[in-house]
Amino acid sequence: MTNKQLLFCLSLLSLTAQAQQQDTLKGKDIEEVVVTATRSEKMLSTVPMPVTIITKSQIQQMGSVRLQEVLQEQTGLTLTSSHGQGVQLQGFNPDYTLILIDGEPLIGRTAGTLELSRIAVGNIKQIEIVKGATSSLYGSEALAGVINIITENPRNQQLSFSGRYGTNQLTDLSMQASMHKAKLKGNIFLNRYSSIGYDLTPETKGKTVEPFHTYTAQTKWNYAINKKLQASFSGRYFNEYQESGFEVGSPSQWISGGGRVQDWNILPTFTYQPSTRWKLQQRLYYSSYQAQSELYTPDNQLFEATNFHQTFFRPELQSNYILSEKHIFTLGIGNTWESVTATRYEGTKYFQNLYAYAQYEWLPTQRWNIVLGGRADVHTVYGSQLSPKLAVQYEANQWLTVRGSWGRGFKAPDFRQLYLNFTNTVAGYSVFGTEEIVTMLKQLQQQNQLAEILISTEALTQLKAESSFSYNLGAKLQPSKKLQVNINFFRNDVENLIESQAVARRTNGQNIFSYRNLQSIYTQGIEVDATYQIHSTISLSVGYQYLDAKDKAIEEKIAKGEIFRRNPTTLVTTRVKAADYGGLMGRSRHTFNGKVFYQNAKGWSATFRAIYRGRQGWADRNGNLILDEDNEYMPNFCTFNASISKEFWSKKIRWQIGVDNLLGSTQPDYLPNVAGRLLWTSLHLQLFKKE
Amino acid sequence: MKYLKLKQAVLGLFITSAFGACSTSEDAKPTPSIVTQTVTNLPADPTMNISTGQPQAPTGKFTLFSLKDNKIVSNLDSASTKWDIGFRGTTIIVNGGAVRTGQGGAAIATGLFEEIKNIAVNQVFNTDQSATALAIPTGSGLGWYNYNPANNWISPIAGKILLIRTAEGKFAKVEILSYYKDAPTTPSPTATARYFTFRYVYQANGTKKFE
Repeated sequence: MTNKQLLFCLSLLSLTAQAQQQDTLKGKDIEEVVVTATRSEKMLSTVPMPVTIITKSQIQQMGSVRLQEVLQEQTGLTLTSSHGQGVQLQGFNPDYTLILIDGEPLIGRTAGTLELSRIAVGNIKQIEIVKGATSSLYGSEALAGVINIITENPRNQQLSFSGRYGTNQLTDLSMQASMHKAKLKGNIFLNRYSSIGYDLTPETKGKTVEPFHTYTAQTKWNYAINKKLQASFSGRYFNEYQESGFEVGSPSQWISGGGRVQDWNILPTFTYQPSTRWKLQQRLYYSSYQAQSELYTPDNQLFEATNFHQTFFRPELQSNYILSEKHIFTLGIGNTWESVTATRYEGTKYFQNLYAYAQYEWLPTQRWNIVLGGRADVHTVYGSQLSPKLAVQYEANQWLTVRGSWGRGFKAPDFRQLYLNFTNTVAGYSVFGTEEIVTMLKQLQQQNQLAEILISTEALTQLKAESSFSYNLGAKLQPSKKLQVNINFFRNDVENLIESQAVARRTNGQNIFSYRNLQSIYTQGIEVDATYQIHSTISLSVGYQYLDAKDKAIEEKIAKGEIFRRNPTTLVTTRVKAADYGGLMGRSRHTFNGKVFYQNAKGWSATFRAIYRGRQGWADRNGNLILDEDNEYMPNFCTFNASISKEFWSKKIRWQIGVDNLLGSTQPDYLPNVAGRLLWTSLHLQLFKKE
Repeated sequence: MKYLKLKQAVLGLFITSAFGACSTSEDAKPTPSIVTQTVTNLPADPTMNISTGQPQAPTGKFTLFSLKDNKIVSNLDSASTKWDIGFRGTTIIVNGGAVRTGQGGAAIATGLFEEIKNIAVNQVFNTDQSATALAIPTGSGLGWYNYNPANNWISPIAGKILLIRTAEGKFAKVEILSYYKDAPTTPSPTATARYFTFRYVYQANGTKKFE
C-alpha cells in the first residue's frame, strides 16, 4: 500500500471522529446471547472470556456471501492463504482455530487449513468468536480459539430469494424457506455460488483463480414430542467443482483438469428438559469430506489423480444443571471416531478419542462471575490430554468490567503428521508420518537405499500433541451509552509445535522427512475494539491489534550472538540483533480496521469499511532462515469496501450495490486470493412471511 | 588462471601494523604478515561452462585447492599433500582421514570471521573417513550451507567458519561467501551454481593463531 492510501485510511477516521460531536440519540440496548464460550446460552456481557459476535444484520449490510469475507474484517483476525483460505487468530495459523457450525466441527483440513469459502453466510444467524484456548470444552484444535457459526433456527412461515451478481461473473443465488405447523418446525437453505475466476498474471498461462461453482444445501427440523422432550435434525451438503491447469516440464506441457470437494453432515439431537433447571442433550454427529482431483496431459493421458476421504462420527451427551442462581454445572461426555483414506496414505487410518468435560459457573455476587472447567481426552494414538480453564469477570461499576482467563489448549497431531506416506517421484524426496517412518526406514535400508540416518529412530517414535497455555486479561469500558471500548491483552506460550525435518538421506542424495515436536513459540499482543454510536443512524467502529509472535529458541540464540546475516552486496557478515528479528513469518505486527454503518428508518443503509494489515514476514532471503531483513517482508496492504442498500415495499425487497476492494489493490505474488476491484449488485425478495 | 582473482585484504596488514605499534622491544623479529585472501568463482565441478555459456556434463571430480599457495591443484595430484581442501557441488572435502593422503582435518566454528583469532588448544578436528562420512557434513543446515526448497537456493550459513587443518598440518580459517558465479545479491533461477567465493586466512608458521 502506498502512503497515499494509508493517509486516506487515516483521514477517513479523523473525519468520522469529528462527526462524533453532533449526536444526541441513545445507543441500542439489545442484549446479545452467546453459546460458544460456556456451551450454554449466556448474555454476552456476563461471559468472562473474550467473545466477538457478528450479527446477521452486519453480514447483510456488508453484502458478504462467503465466510472469509466476513471474518477478514474483524479485529484480530487476518486472512491467510496456504492450502486454502483460513484465518489467523492471536497470531496462530488457521490450523489452531476450531471452526464449528452449530457447535459441531467442520472437517476436511487436508493440509491443516479449513477452506473458509466452503461456508455460505446467507442463512447465518450470528457468528461467535471466542479467543484464547478453549480446549477445556472443545478439545483439539481450540488452541487459538473457536469460531462457531450459528445458523437460523426455523421459526415462522417464510420464503425468500436472494441473488447477487458482480465482477468476474461472481454469482450467488440463495433460497430460504421456513415452515411451522403445530409441533413441527423446519427450514431449508439452498445456495449456488460461482465465478469464472480471474487472472492477476496474464503473462503466464493459467488463471490466478480458476472457474468454479459450488452448491450448498442446509436444513434444520424441530419436533416437540412433548413439553419436556424435543427432537431435532439438521443436515448440510456441499459440493464444489473447480477447474485447474498449469504448465510443467520443458518444452512445457499444459496439464489440466479439475477438483471436486464434497462434504455432508447430519446431526440428530434429542433435548430433554424436565425442569427449567435441568437440560440434557444427546447429539449424534456424522460428517464426511471428500476431495478428488484428476489432471490430464494435452493428449488426454492421466497425469495425476488424487483422493482424500475423511469421516467423523461423534455421539455426545451434555447436561446443564442450574443448582441455584449462583451455581451452574455443565457436564459432557463423548467419543469421536475418525478415518482417512487417501492417495498419499497406506490403507485406511483410524482415530478414536474418548472425552469428558466439566464446567462450574459460580456467581457469588451480582458483580462476580467465575468459570472453572476442564476436559480430559483419551486418544488411541497420541495419548491423553488434560485441558483446564479458569475465567473470572468482575463488574467494578456501570462503566467498567474487568475480566481475565487462563487455559490450556492443544492440537492433536493430524493424519498427515502421523500417516503420510509420500514420495515425490520427480525430485526423489520422501515424507513419512511418524507412525510410518520407522518401518519405511527399515524397508529402505534393506533395499540399500539409505545413505545416512540423521536422527536416530529412537528419537522419532512418538509425536506429542502441540499445546499451549493461554492468558487473556481485558476490560470492557462503557463510559456512555454510545461508546463501548473493549481491550484485551493476550499471551500464548506454545510448545511442541510440529515441524517437518530431514531425518535420513537416500543414496540418491535426496532427504527423507518426517515430523517432530520442535518449536516453542509465543504470541502476545493487545487488541482494542471501540464502537461509537454517533447518531441514531450512524455507528462507527475501529479495531486494532498489536501482535508479537516469536520463536523462543531463535530469541535465545540471538541473545547469545549465535545468529548472523550476510550483506548480499558486500558479503560482510554481522550478528543479528534482537531488534532485527521480525518473529514468525506471515504475521503483521499492526492490523487495523475502521467501519461506518449507516441505517435510517426509510430503509436506506450503507457501510464503508477499511481493513489495513501492516507488513508481514514472507520468506527468508538472506539464507539465515529467520525474518530479519526488510526485503523479507510482504508490504503492508489496505482494502476498502463499501455498500449501499434500500428496502422497498415494507421490507419485501432489498436492493443493494457494493464494491469490494474499492482501489483495486492487488498483490499477485503474496495475496493471490485478493482479486482486484469487485463491483456487485444484489436483490433480496421476501415473498412470504408470517409471524 | 583467468577466473581466479586474488585480492590482498588490508585487514591482515592493518592488524600486523597495529600489533607492531604496541609491541615492546623484547621482540625484534617482525611478525609474519597474515593476510585474508579472497577467492572468487572457484569452479566446483560446474554443470555450466562460464566461458562458453554452455551446459556441460559434471565430471564427478573435486576441484582441489592449496590454501598455502592460493591456487588450484591438478586432480592428478589428489594422492599428495599438495592440496588442502576440495570442492564438488555443495560437498567440501579435506586432505586428511582414512580416504586421504595428508594430515588435514576440519571443524566448524560459530562466530564472525574476524573474531576467530585462534583455534582452541583442545579443538577436535574431524577427517574424511569415507566418501559419505566427511569432516564437513553435507546437507542443509548441517555443514556450511542452508538449502531453501522454495527457490532451490543454496546460501552459505552466515557465521559458520570452517577451521581447516591443512595437508601439512598447518591451520587456516575459511568463510564461504557464495555458491554462485559472481555472488549474485538476490536468489535468481538464472544464477550459475557451483562457483564458490570464499575468503581465508592461512597461518604458515604452524601455530593456531590468526593474528
